[in-house]
Amino acid sequence: MLAVTNIHKAFGTNEVLRGVDIMVEKGDVVVLLGASGSGKTTLLRCINFLELADQGHIRVGGIDIAFRDARKKDIHAIRRKISFVFQNYNLFNNKTALENVTEGLIIGRGMPKSQAVRIGKACLDKVGLANKFDSYPGQLSGGQQQRVGIARAVAVNPEVILFDEPTSALDPELIGEVLDVMKRLATEGTTMLIVTHEMSFARDVATKVVFMDEGNVVESGRPKEIFVKPKERRTRQFLQRFLGDSDYAI
Amino acid sequence: MNPRFIFETFLKLLPYLTVTLEYVSLSLLFGTLLGFLAAAAKLGRNRPLRWLANAYTTILRCTPSVVLLFLVFFILPAVMRNYLRINVDAWPALFFVVVTFTLFLGASQSEVMRGAYLAVDRGQFEAGVSVGMTEWQSFRRVVLPQAFFFALPNLTNTVIYLFKEGSLAFTIGVVDIMGKAYLVNATNFGLKALDVYLALALIYWPLSVFFEWLGRLLERRFGYTQVKPEAGKTAESVRGRGRSSIRGVRA
Amino acid sequence: MNLDYDFMLETLWLALPGILVTFEIALVASAAAVPVGLVLGIIRARRVPLLSQLARVYISFIRGTPLILQIFLVYNSFPSILAVVFARLGVEYNIFNLNPVVYAFIVFSISETAVLAEVFRAAITTVDKSQLEAAYSVGMTAFQGYRRIVIPQAMSAALPSLCNSITDLIKATSLAFTMSVMEITAIAKKQGAMKLSFIEAYLDIFLLYCILIFTVEKVLKILEKRARAYQQA
Repeated sequence: MLAVTNIHKAFGTNEVLRGVDIMVEKGDVVVLLGASGSGKTTLLRCINFLELADQGHIRVGGIDIAFRDARKKDIHAIRRKISFVFQNYNLFNNKTALENVTEGLIIGRGMPKSQAVRIGKACLDKVGLANKFDSYPGQLSGGQQQRVGIARAVAVNPEVILFDEPTSALDPELIGEVLDVMKRLATEGTTMLIVTHEMSFARDVATKVVFMDEGNVVESGRPKEIFVKPKERRTRQFLQRFLGDSDYAI
Repeated sequence: MNPRFIFETFLKLLPYLTVTLEYVSLSLLFGTLLGFLAAAAKLGRNRPLRWLANAYTTILRCTPSVVLLFLVFFILPAVMRNYLRINVDAWPALFFVVVTFTLFLGASQSEVMRGAYLAVDRGQFEAGVSVGMTEWQSFRRVVLPQAFFFALPNLTNTVIYLFKEGSLAFTIGVVDIMGKAYLVNATNFGLKALDVYLALALIYWPLSVFFEWLGRLLERRFGYTQVKPEAGKTAESVRGRGRSSIRGVRA
Repeated sequence: MNLDYDFMLETLWLALPGILVTFEIALVASAAAVPVGLVLGIIRARRVPLLSQLARVYISFIRGTPLILQIFLVYNSFPSILAVVFARLGVEYNIFNLNPVVYAFIVFSISETAVLAEVFRAAITTVDKSQLEAAYSVGMTAFQGYRRIVIPQAMSAALPSLCNSITDLIKATSLAFTMSVMEITAIAKKQGAMKLSFIEAYLDIFLLYCILIFTVEKVLKILEKRARAYQQA
């Protein structure tokens, strides 16, 4: 489905990714955990070619290529198989909610408008925004914007959706509505690779948890394994900091 | 194109830069003063004065430089002769240039100053009063210095504007660099016009670039230490308050 | 001070058609400057190698020299350039019969293009880079992202500067008289010189410009507000 091997990325002398492998199977919900600065976001951005990785290999939906060898055409093809949900939503400010969703279908994929609108409406309905088709991003709350962002990512029917801290920019009371939508996607079998700090979401929804530190994958496994019996000292320290001692054994 | 002739002309024009800089500095001085008065009138409580200042700004904003220059050049002598009994016929044309651009600057600067004043948080003034300053002291010692740095980026633009727009002075017979170029062109019967004006461009262009560079330098120097965004506000939100770019502002 | 009101009114009437010439110049210059300026603005914002540097030199020259100087440069060099071009093309035309308004078109287009290139560059840089990333993420190409997402947003950010530059342009056309283009200034000046009534003539010019620019400014403000309506959420 999506396999990335030995990916390296440095900004100047700062090595952010030092040979990460990551594998997402169809229907997987993979959650990437790690302290800020551990390279999670950079990993997602490299996968979608928003940053160009220095080294490494990507395989997705029948395309199999080294990052450095990817030409414009390849990058475009890969992006059409992967969609992205941004931390700051990044909705198109000059487009309505519905247009935000249909834009990728009509322009990115050349779908006829009527069909795109039908899909767009269905996707917005799915995230609970059937009454907001014609609202501009500026008229929506953060949680609503992010749900449009998710609808936009779902609409293009990608092999995998990348979520880059989708709830980090939201006020606490708006986080729930976004997580609920993501949960529903998970139960429907949507393939997702998620960077988040929402531990209970990771524990309850993920099929696989990957813990990263200093640009490396330290440990990965089923959530139960990672949360209950982490093997590595660094994973334990991280979880302790995030969950506190009392939550530790849940 | 004849590089040698261009260079010779360049040297011929250069001394007249003093005339250019003369009207630039004089207009800047008087224009800023007038602008300050007009800004005070706009912000003040006196209604007729406020209306007058606003009308003045609007009219000047809607007038092309060359038109006001001609108007001042032809009307001011008549007005002064008739109403003030002063004969200005023998006064240098430079006088009219300075009057014209003082009027223009007064209008534009008053807007800049008004904006800069409004950009300073009201709380600053209140804080000044709260520690026992009089209103005037609070204005002069707290608000004004901060407003000055909001207005600073505009200074460069103003100088460059005067420097370039002042070239129109030749139309009323002032011999600055432009006026001299016009004369040199005439003595060559217009046969070397392109070379003459290229030589002139060799003065204007680098100097404008220099002024711009100098402005950026000043902004970085002063902007950095003086204007700080209040706690909880990013540099962007302070910058965004209606001011043009205030570079170098960091928390 | 006694003004000859009859003469003033007569000259005002005579100079009125000059407004059309003013609009003509402003229109032609804008029509050339908007598309070319946009392309240059994108080139500058994206720092396209070589082209960006070339654009920068051009913009710096136009912004760094007085308009009147640019007028004299074009007015004194283009006739011979055009003569060569016409000769190459085999066009039988005496270049000195050319309506001087053509040179006004050229000068004001050249200078307005540089102004707008800067306006558009600044506007494009105000559009967050993440907007383009979002466009990539839904499978658009860079060109599609610019056309559909970045440029529309940049345009509305550029609107106030764009309107300002148009009023500035109209003001600047008052210099076209130096190329013997018969617009407002030139007509009234000629009348004033004939009757030696300069004061009245220049008052006319002043009045006409004031009203003209004031009106244009107000109309543009209204249009601007309409165009930006969708954003005011």
